Amino acid sequence: MDGLRFDKLRILVVDDNQHMRKLVVAVLQAVGVRDLFEAADGEHAWRALRDTNPDIIVLDWQMDGMTGLEFARLVRNSPRSPNVYVPIIMLTGHTHVEHVRQARDAGVNEFLAKPVTVKAILSRLVNVVEHPRPFIRTKTYFGPCRRRRALTAYAGPERRKEPTFVD
Amino acid sequence: MAITEKAQIFMPPISLKAKAGSASGTLTVDPEVLKSGEKAMEGLRREFSDWLAEDIATLAKTFAVFAKAPTAENAGALFRAAHDLKGQATTFEYPLIARVAASLAKLMDGMQSWEAAPLPLVAAHVDAIHVIHRDRIKDISNRIALTLAEELEGRVLKTIAQASFKQP
Repeated sequence: MDGLRFDKLRILVVDDNQHMRKLVVAVLQAVGVRDLFEAADGEHAWRALRDTNPDIIVLDWQMDGMTGLEFARLVRNSPRSPNVYVPIIMLTGHTHVEHVRQARDAGVNEFLAKPVTVKAILSRLVNVVEHPRPFIRTKTYFGPCRRRRALTAYAGPERRKEPTFVD
Repeated sequence: MAITEKAQIFMPPISLKAKAGSASGTLTVDPEVLKSGEKAMEGLRREFSDWLAEDIATLAKTFAVFAKAPTAENAGALFRAAHDLKGQATTFEYPLIARVAASLAKLMDGMQSWEAAPLPLVAAHVDAIHVIHRDRIKDISNRIALTLAEELEGRVLKTIAQASFKQP
């Protein structure tokens, strides 16, 4: 069986906890990823994004200084962002549906809840490679399409139009 | 309400499928690759307890700072340390530490502000985490640790409810 070529991927792992970073990096190395970069905070991650041009970012949510959510928004929306399309996998101890919504609204592609397993890490990587989501640009959002499933009852032609309140 | 703005929808210009996809176009994970990853995780297992000890020491340190000066900044550091443990302790084979840490994070998050978390209850969580690690309680059904976790969770719920009641 042939499978996803992990050796072709460049991945940036951003986590302020050195142990979790070490764990994720060790797993990624073991599955064949050769070009791995690490950052312990948003500021270093921003620099690494510019210097290393990763294909995928694995990003912790809760970090000292710039949070993962703020970093994701910066990547998607800053005019200085080196790659506004880079897939972001959010690694987090948050599991509430509201947190998933917040991550999605920040432009995150995949949500990886702790505790992490190898299977879960690989399945998120496969998802971002195999099922690239279309990007959406509206007045209030830029990022991957947030409709993984057809959750809304309305599926008509104007479902993505932004509502504007008028007097 | 009027609808005025159309959304642009387009595919990102870079295709990772073209870059990292297999020759056949199937994007599965080779079972051998999965095994390699799990072996790597297994290889780190002997370090887990030490890693957890370091994370617990960080929690204790942030708590000591917070106890001296309960500012928003210090509360934030304590919350992040608790949240880290909540997420990681199960991976590091101490699910009950994850549970107690989750209770602590919930306490801080449930108050009007993180720094409003009552010190004795925070201290009880930190102590419980120390004890579970010291006694190497990895079994999620350990009766004493479970009772302790449930007691802390109950007190957190009560504290949050009381704090909400007091809010204007």
